[in-house]
Amino acid sequence: MAGISLKKVVKRFGVYEIIHGADLEVADGEFVVFVGPSGCGKSTLLRMIAGLETISDGTVSIGGRIVNDIEPADRGVAMVFQSYALYPHMTVEQNLSFGLRMTGHDKADVARRVKRSADTLRISELLKRKPRQLSGGQRQRVAIGRAIMREPQLFLFDEPLSNLDAELRVQMRVELARLHKELGVTMIYVTHDQTEAMTLADRIVVLNAGNIEQIGAPLDLYDDPANRFVAGFVGSPKMNFMAGRIVETNNGAAIVELVNHRGARLRKPAVDAPAVGSDVVIGVRPEHFFNAGEGDCDITIKADVAEHLGSVSYVYANAGREELIIEREASRQRANGDHLTVALRADRSLLFDKTGARVR
Amino acid sequence: MRLRTQTAYAFLTPYLLVFLAFWIWPIANSFWLSFLNTRSANWTFNPRVTWGRLLVDPAFANALWNTLIILVIQVPIMIALATVLATLLNSSMLKARGLFRFAFFAPVVVGEVAYAAVFRLMFNHEFGIINKMLAVASVPAIPWLSSPNAAMAVIIIAVTWRWAGYNAIIILAGLQSIPEDVYEAATLDGVSKTRQFFFITLPLLRPVIVLCVVISVIGTMQLFSEPFLITNRGGPGQATETLGLFLYRQAFGAFNFGYASAIAYTIAALAIVISLINLWLGRERE
Ligand SMILES: Nc1ncnc2c1ncn2[C@@H]1O[C@H](COP(=O)(O)OP(=O)(O)OP(=O)(O)O)[C@@H](O)[C@H]1O
Ligand SMILES: [Mg+2]
Repeated sequence: MAGISLKKVVKRFGVYEIIHGADLEVADGEFVVFVGPSGCGKSTLLRMIAGLETISDGTVSIGGRIVNDIEPADRGVAMVFQSYALYPHMTVEQNLSFGLRMTGHDKADVARRVKRSADTLRISELLKRKPRQLSGGQRQRVAIGRAIMREPQLFLFDEPLSNLDAELRVQMRVELARLHKELGVTMIYVTHDQTEAMTLADRIVVLNAGNIEQIGAPLDLYDDPANRFVAGFVGSPKMNFMAGRIVETNNGAAIVELVNHRGARLRKPAVDAPAVGSDVVIGVRPEHFFNAGEGDCDITIKADVAEHLGSVSYVYANAGREELIIEREASRQRANGDHLTVALRADRSLLFDKTGARVR
Repeated sequence: MRLRTQTAYAFLTPYLLVFLAFWIWPIANSFWLSFLNTRSANWTFNPRVTWGRLLVDPAFANALWNTLIILVIQVPIMIALATVLATLLNSSMLKARGLFRFAFFAPVVVGEVAYAAVFRLMFNHEFGIINKMLAVASVPAIPWLSSPNAAMAVIIIAVTWRWAGYNAIIILAGLQSIPEDVYEAATLDGVSKTRQFFFITLPLLRPVIVLCVVISVIGTMQLFSEPFLITNRGGPGQATETLGLFLYRQAFGAFNFGYASAIAYTIAALAIVISLINLWLGRERE
């Protein structure tokens, strides 16, 4: 078992720098999830830890040992690929045992590990089948089973569930959580899926365009994002962003007026507030709109569409050029063109300066 | 018949007529011919002098033997070479891949007569470049085109040169269909590159390789141009006479069309049988 440490890790493909100096400490046994938009470098970072991509600059250590120049096989990591990467011509059993057989492990030991791995992943009945005779979920299980064969100190998952249907995804997610508890090893997991990230992670690493934007526990990122990018990325539906302007600053607070809602003002504590007249952004999550009069200020919007999900409803509205999503109690009313007044609360909204950095 | 169907057939008719006249009719007619004695003034039914002769004719046995020898030596060497070439072509280290791909494919489109003439020159006893190079390595000159075994070797080398690249391109397509992450998984499992080749690449290439073997077997069974042009009609003597050449000699040398038809059917039957054996050996085992 091992923790991981990335220090100023840089990746370049030719002249393009893809990862711009990532720093990350992962504790032994921790479950860390990488999230970020497509193309931000999640897979690249994961593959650098695995040894499938060279490290252009900086160091990667696993278990206290710098592994930059260590062969992938000697890093003690196992990886599960999005496409499963099973050996198509081998049975499940052969898939599981291939690596160990090829590296001269004792036959009895291999057989014992195959059995244990198959039991853990509940694939014992499938051992004689070839990958093409398996369903997506079964294949993914085999891929994970193969990963645990070598008893690695570190598991890497690159979007392992993204090819599965929604129901299976939930099921596999629970199994992964169980596996993490059972094995107690360090896991790094790449995903696009908010729910996977929020439910599985001890800590989430939010990446954007090759930079680590924030690292933190799921609810910390949700409650207290470091910047506008993280605020917009974590949480679903997305946080609303409304244009604002600083109209007054006094003893550690800033009064912000919402540009598209005349007269709506919020008083936000701000140690280092931008100057009066600066453009700022107020972020409010869909679930943080309150009934009219129950907050610090009211805004009135015209609803375009309402989505009724049964348990809640989402009202989509346009104010100025801003698209707003407002969560309301469950309802069955059509909302076309209705005017709706809702309240904002200063302690349930976030203030960002115009570069996107959080102002507190 | 509905109008649409009629229209379709109307459009197909020219092709079907050509197909009938130049494919079906010769195939059917030669089958009939193979039972006739075509050396008498009026052709009479007499399979003894066609099919019966195949069993006892030493010249046929010689041509069959030569063809099988070439097949057994040339096809495996060529396919192995093609696999190696394809693997090199697929290497990420290779620059100018397109150029190499074209270069390997080029021999197929070179005119047969031109290529045969070049080979004759290269393997010329006195001033061919091959013997010159052997001389540099202090190997005595080999009478390539006048020694039976050496002439066979020249044929095998020529055919291999001509078709190895072609097969390599087919195998390359097979290689490129193997997903990269399978190798990455094996690398993480600690499996060496060599073992990856033998335990992952080769098994996954098997269908493609079987296809190449079948194509090559069919080609070699019909081998004609090389012994006709390079070793001057199967020379020295009949040392490199293949079934294709023997067929040609019977049909257009001796005008014995009945016997030639029987030979043609034998070639086709052998090609089918050997191909089926290959397909069976290379089948997917569960
Ligand atoms: N071999 C390569 N050569 C050049 N650029 C590459 C290479 N591999 C990846 N990139 C680039 O690096 C960037 C990050 O790619 P990466 O695959 O890590 O993204 P990702 O975050 O995993 O995206 P996704 O969520 O779509 O899987 C992309 O802009 C991609 O184009
Ligand atoms: Mg990716």
